[in-house]
Amino acid sequence: MENSGSPGRNQYEMKNLLYNKYFQFALRFIIGATFIYASVAKLFHPAEFAKAILRYDMLPVFLVNIQAVIMPWLEFFIGLLLILGIFKKGTSLLASISLIVFLIALTSASVRGLDISCGCFSLEETSSKGDILFRIIQDIFMLLGTVIIYLFSGKPKTDGTNPPAEQV
Amino acid sequence: MKVFKQITAVFIFSAVIALIVNAVNPNGVPLIMEKNIYKQDTTSKSNIGDFINDPYDTTTKPSQFFGGKKNKQGFIEPENISSVLAKQLYDRKALFIDARTKAEYDTLHIKDAVNISYMDFYPKSAAERADVMKKFGKSGIIVVYCNGGTCEVSIDLAYEIAKLGFNNVSIYKGGITEWKTLGHPVETNMK
Repeated sequence: MENSGSPGRNQYEMKNLLYNKYFQFALRFIIGATFIYASVAKLFHPAEFAKAILRYDMLPVFLVNIQAVIMPWLEFFIGLLLILGIFKKGTSLLASISLIVFLIALTSASVRGLDISCGCFSLEETSSKGDILFRIIQDIFMLLGTVIIYLFSGKPKTDGTNPPAEQV
Repeated sequence: MKVFKQITAVFIFSAVIALIVNAVNPNGVPLIMEKNIYKQDTTSKSNIGDFINDPYDTTTKPSQFFGGKKNKQGFIEPENISSVLAKQLYDRKALFIDARTKAEYDTLHIKDAVNISYMDFYPKSAAERADVMKKFGKSGIIVVYCNGGTCEVSIDLAYEIAKLGFNNVSIYKGGITEWKTLGHPVETNMK
C-alpha cells in the first residue's frame, strides 16, 4: 500500500525542496531583485530619501543623512550578492536584519497612525495608509524568504538519519 | 563567525561605496544633518490647503495670514518662515521680493520674484515707498529674501514694507542659497 503521505516522508520532501538549488536560486533572485529595485530610486537622491526617513520621525535628526546615504547602497549590494549567490549566509542574514528594521519602522508608523508614504520603492510624497499595510505584508513574506535562504542554503546537513524508506 | 565576517565585509564595502558616491554626487548631502530643515513650521499656519494668493489684487479686504499682532509702532511684524513654508507659499503665488541689488538679482533669483533693492528703497521718502508698493495688495502674502546666511537686507526691507501697512510680510532667511540647494525654481537675467 502506498504510504507517501506519512508525516516523515512529507517532511523529508519539504526539506528536499528547501535545499533544492533551483528553489534557492529562485528565492534569492526574487528577493535580490526586490532589494535592487528598492534601492535604485534612492542611490543618487539621498536628500529625497532623507525626507522620507524624517517622515517616520524615529531616528535622531543627526543620523538621518548618514542613513539616507548608506542604506540604499547596502540594499543594492545585498540584492546583488543574493542574486550572484556570494556570501549567501551573510547576505541573507543582513537582509533579514534590514527587513526586521523596516518592519519595525513600518509597524510603528502604522500604529502611530502616521499618514505617510512608505519611501520603500519610490520617493514620491503620496500618502496612503493602505500602502504601509501592503508593505508590512510584503515585508513579512520577504523576511520568511531570507530566513529560508539562511537556513537552507548550501548542502543539507547529514545528521545520520536516512530519509524514511519508501514502503512498497 | 564566518557569517559575522561576511556581514561586516558587505557592510563596510557598501558604506565605502556610498560615501564615495555621495562625495562626488552633485545631489550629495552633508553626512550630519544639523537640524531638520524639512520640518513643517509649527509657529505659523503652514496648513494652507488650496489657498491661492494674488499679491496684485488690491481690492480684497485686509486679512491676516500669519496671525501676528500689531506692535506698539502700529504695524504687524514680519514672520520668519522656513524653506518648506516658503515653497508652499511659492506654489500658491505669494509675492517673492528679492531685497538685494539689481546686479545680484540679475545674476540669479527665485523664479518670478520681483526686485526691490533695499539700498534703493531705504533712501526714498514715505510717499515714494508707498508708490513702489502700491501695485500690491496689502493683504497679499509677501516673502522677502536675500542671499541667505547672515544677509540682513531681507529683514530690513520686510520691516519697511510692513510699516507701510502690509499685513502678511514674511522673511525667508534661507534665501536664494538654500532655495537653489533645494532645487527649487530659479532664473537669471544674464545672457
